[in-house]
Amino acid sequence: MTATAATEPIEKTIHRSALRLERGDLTQLEVDAIVFYAKETLELGSGFGGAIHARGGETIKKELAALGPVAVGEAVTTTAGRLPAKWIVHACGPKFQEPDMEAKLRRCMLSALRAAEERGAKTIAFPPMGAGFYGVPLERCARAMLEAIREFLAAGGALEAIVVCVADRREYGAFRPLFEGL
Amino acid sequence: MPPARSYKAQKVIDRFQQKLNRQAMLSLAACVHCGLCTDQCHYVLANPGDPTYAPAYKADRLRKLFKAHVDWTGRLIPRWVGGRSVYSDEELEELKDVVFGKCTNCRRCSLNCPMGVDMASFNRLARGLLVHVGVMPEGVAVVAKDQWEIGNQMGVLKEDYLETLQWMEEELQSEYNDPSIRIPVDKRDAEIVYAINPREAKYDPRTIGEAAAIFHFAGENWTMASEGWDMTNFGLFNGDDELGAACAARVYDAVEGLRGRKLVVSECGHGYRSTRCEGPNWARRDLKFEMESSVVTMLRYIKEGRIAVDKTRNPLPATYHDSCNNARSCGMTEEPRELLRLVTTDFREMYPNRAENFCCTGGGGAMSMSEYAPRRLKSAKVKADQLRATGAKVVVTSCHNCVDGLFDLIRHYKLDMQVKLLVSLVANALTPPERRIKRRPLEGFRILVIDDEPDVRIYLSKLFEENGCAVTDAPDANQAMRAIRAQPPDLITLDLVLPKKTGEKLYWELKKDERFARIPIVVVSGYAAIDHPKIDFHKFIAEKALPPPEGFLEKPVDVEKLIETVHQSLLESRFSG
Repeated sequence: MTATAATEPIEKTIHRSALRLERGDLTQLEVDAIVFYAKETLELGSGFGGAIHARGGETIKKELAALGPVAVGEAVTTTAGRLPAKWIVHACGPKFQEPDMEAKLRRCMLSALRAAEERGAKTIAFPPMGAGFYGVPLERCARAMLEAIREFLAAGGALEAIVVCVADRREYGAFRPLFEGL
Repeated sequence: MPPARSYKAQKVIDRFQQKLNRQAMLSLAACVHCGLCTDQCHYVLANPGDPTYAPAYKADRLRKLFKAHVDWTGRLIPRWVGGRSVYSDEELEELKDVVFGKCTNCRRCSLNCPMGVDMASFNRLARGLLVHVGVMPEGVAVVAKDQWEIGNQMGVLKEDYLETLQWMEEELQSEYNDPSIRIPVDKRDAEIVYAINPREAKYDPRTIGEAAAIFHFAGENWTMASEGWDMTNFGLFNGDDELGAACAARVYDAVEGLRGRKLVVSECGHGYRSTRCEGPNWARRDLKFEMESSVVTMLRYIKEGRIAVDKTRNPLPATYHDSCNNARSCGMTEEPRELLRLVTTDFREMYPNRAENFCCTGGGGAMSMSEYAPRRLKSAKVKADQLRATGAKVVVTSCHNCVDGLFDLIRHYKLDMQVKLLVSLVANALTPPERRIKRRPLEGFRILVIDDEPDVRIYLSKLFEENGCAVTDAPDANQAMRAIRAQPPDLITLDLVLPKKTGEKLYWELKKDERFARIPIVVVSGYAAIDHPKIDFHKFIAEKALPPPEGFLEKPVDVEKLIETVHQSLLESRFSG
């Protein structure tokens, strides 16, 4: 099986909203809002933050300067500069094994979804929140994310499409069984 | 009553017990504190009176934890066997300073260990424990995050990477006057998928072009991948096995997705070790394709007659620095020497060498930890002495990380030496039948020479013009500013001593003006020396918080060095701009 075949997009409908798993480049997605897993200080830093800065331009940093700091579980929104998305939701989640990881991740997800909705976004894309560098185990990340999305949609959340954008087969493999079980 | 333990300290202990494997346990249990490892370490040699640099001392930091929490003797009689736990975040910071700042994981200390203790394996383990709770040098965090999220450790974006490959392809076509030269991307069913170090894409793309020329003239069916092209792996350095697995898997996925038959990794010690030796275990993959270092590939091409080389093109005396990961950890010691003898006329061995070679001092991720740079450079004295003793003018290595480490120490210890990778020497020695005269190195660029001495202006202008570029000049800062405003040049050479307004002031004005801040500046001055009492340029730029110049050369200038510095600055500027 090729790498591409092993990461084909998968879509489910939940409460009239589309929930999609796809492999791609988060900052290049054509959605209304993308979510950035932010620090409390809202510094963009390296990784996705570096890509947002390089591709999106200086305005995002300037907007952030007036918004921080934020607490874990909170989210703020900026415009997306030159990125294809209209907004970036900067959602601050748990990092490096800090206590109550799942509960904080759930709050962070819900804050991000609500923040996007308040801006009028119809489509939003998330990376695997906190997995990778910040050490949230991928399986726990996938479970917490999908539970929060379901909770949001069950409560009447009006987003039309929610995308989980993974970078590779490893991340895809953690989400796929949970998507299939929805 | 033991003191209360911090949350992070408890997490470190929990993780330690999960991550211990047989290799680490044997190493932790086996040390008899004989001290034979001590003078193998470059940090110890540079700090003879400081026992905290001794490998056994450093290893004991983790061993105490092992005794306190794992070994039965420590659980019964912890004080007798030296068991000690960690309790506070401050202790974790101290541990960070030891495992990141006093060891490059070069494994030289293990050479003389009669008990076979592999200190680097549990130094890496300790790094991983700290990274797990977010305790790490800032530079390590930056690089690791880039590699996790962008897919390469320098955060090179896909469009920049592809643009660089395109640029190198055009350069090659122009250099060899051969439009058939290609750098294929995502070609399926190729014999070779070539993976590189992102340093090549970001800072020194010439090596990509050089490798491409070699593949082309060897008639190879090869390709590069648009994703999974970074064969380096910061997981080896920061002890994060999950990152190690993710990086390796991305490269393997790229090769399998393209149905490549062989993965060739460019010259990088830790990349070679991670991708070829450690990666399949980290990623738990049973790979169906072969893997080899580009050193082996290049040697094979010459031996099979697929490329012809003329060693007289590389006449400068050259020595070889063994990368620790290539030589000590992977046993690749003879292939680079065999290749070097085929492409240079004057190869001189460095002593000690091969598995006993000293680290470049930039290994283990040290180049990303700027806070430890003074320690690193101090510990580099033994390497500088080794290099100086060869009398060579070129130190060749087969590792991009070593290139940076060696370059830094050469500058620090003022050695008259260049650093080169094997691919550069092989490419320079290539004698393809269709070889044309090389493009002149500065062709297509415009340079502004600022100097108050007419003779110097004429000399430099002629020199640059001979190397292919257009030159304008200015005798003082005001005329220079007018020329820059009229038509910003691609690069400026700047004398510091100018009438009326000094070169320093002009430098400050240019760097503060966003229209001109990105123009690379090479300082060429009789007062440019770092420690010269008349002008302390370094102090000036530090006080004004200005970026350093792209080049810094003293008069009288070494012509070869000047052209190389200018050429390199122009290439980097073109890429980053």
